[in-house]
Amino acid sequence: MKKSQIFTRGLIKENAVLVLMIGLCPALAVSGTVRDAFGMGLAATFVLFFSNIIISIMRKRIPNEVRIPIFILIISTFVTIIDYFMQAFQPNLYQALGVFVPLIVVNCMILGRAEAYASKNSVINSALDGLGVGLGFTLALTVMGAIREIFGNGTLLGMAIFGEGFKNAPVIFMILPPGAFLVIGVMKALINRYSK
Amino acid sequence: MVVTLFIVALICSVILSFVYSYTAPQIEETQKALTLAGLKEVIVAQEFTPVMPDTVWEAIDSTQNVVGIVFRVFPQGYGGPVPIMVGLDLEGKITGIRIASAAEGLKETPGLGVKIIEPSFRDQFIGKTIDNILLKKDGGEIDAITAATISSRAVCNGIKQGIEEFASYLCPPLDKRCIFPDAQDFIEAITDTLWYALGESDTLGIVFIATTQGYADQIEFIVGLTIKGQITGVEILYSNETPGIGDVIRDKEFLNSFKEKMPDAITGATVSSEALINGIKEKVEIYKDYLK
Repeated sequence: MKKSQIFTRGLIKENAVLVLMIGLCPALAVSGTVRDAFGMGLAATFVLFFSNIIISIMRKRIPNEVRIPIFILIISTFVTIIDYFMQAFQPNLYQALGVFVPLIVVNCMILGRAEAYASKNSVINSALDGLGVGLGFTLALTVMGAIREIFGNGTLLGMAIFGEGFKNAPVIFMILPPGAFLVIGVMKALINRYSK
Repeated sequence: MVVTLFIVALICSVILSFVYSYTAPQIEETQKALTLAGLKEVIVAQEFTPVMPDTVWEAIDSTQNVVGIVFRVFPQGYGGPVPIMVGLDLEGKITGIRIASAAEGLKETPGLGVKIIEPSFRDQFIGKTIDNILLKKDGGEIDAITAATISSRAVCNGIKQGIEEFASYLCPPLDKRCIFPDAQDFIEAITDTLWYALGESDTLGIVFIATTQGYADQIEFIVGLTIKGQITGVEILYSNETPGIGDVIRDKEFLNSFKEKMPDAITGATVSSEALINGIKEKVEIYKDYLK
């Protein structure tokens, strides 16, 4: 497979949320607004990129029988280190992204890519895979966030787009958990319809 | 295989403990700076003295005058406790409130309950007193966030309870009403020393100022005493006791404990606290006669 394909396939064709249906928990929970969705996506991309690289480097030394607990240990250690450093030296960044960090530690998408790809492929390919899947995740979350924010709150990135009248009666349902399920379902249906 | 897992776990723990001990002091510094920034957001002041650790601060302006207090409360919201910081001026009016963002531990619903941190909601509280902190739905003046009534109400209740609990920290020590809250008026009996505390039609007790010898210097204090001999309040007007040791006699909890019964001496500050306790006992004996 060409290098460019390894990267691009994670964006739409094998999109983690909409096609592989992994990483759904943060996708449902943190897609209420564009800002949150984008922050969560970027934080997850960052971790996915590096965890894929680390797992790929160590792939020949990890015994097959205990690979899953070892993956979890490595990923959670890595995420916790980032969490500490961010708290200590980048308090502003931590204010914006810190809330997503605990969600990433237990994200099955990152473990899933470690198991399905990074543990079997070269470092460069794993890095590209991590980046592609991460950006695909960010894309899916941001689109969901935009739809939910526009209908549920009448704003996009915090700016009112429907004028004052709508502000008092948005479709609140869209910002609540059922809205997340509805949007993700419709997006999945559209992808299925047009990817064939 | 088990050995490999063990080794990986060991390496991870060692790395984490190193990172933790390296970053912990820095994280604490950052937290302190953030707390200070938060305090300055709710009240205009130069510096802040903690009067109850992590809960109540006295706000002091550039001329060393107390301009108000800041307190912290954690009322139960929809998803968890809502961390709120409230600034109060000397008249008990809210100077500003600050609610922690989601990144700082707010657990309200994303996109909905978390809107309580927005200025349009938050700034409604500025200038309000304990009497008008209520949602419009509950008969007050505060607009709730649409579809986030529970979070909005939690903020109101939290602030209200906080003011009830901590307003006593606002009282300037020389204000006799703070020492004897039930009294309507005061009549001077001995110039600058003793006053009668008057109720609707009768005398409720006395308030007096006295001194006693402390460890370093005289301690000047003000005491309220009811007809029945119960202490209604004690404040320190002057003391020059050793900072960090004897000056714990200024501690509000210690001073408030006089209302229940004569407290025990404070460990580590026995001389200063005993001086105050004995001073109060002695002067109460002397001034008791005025109650007859």
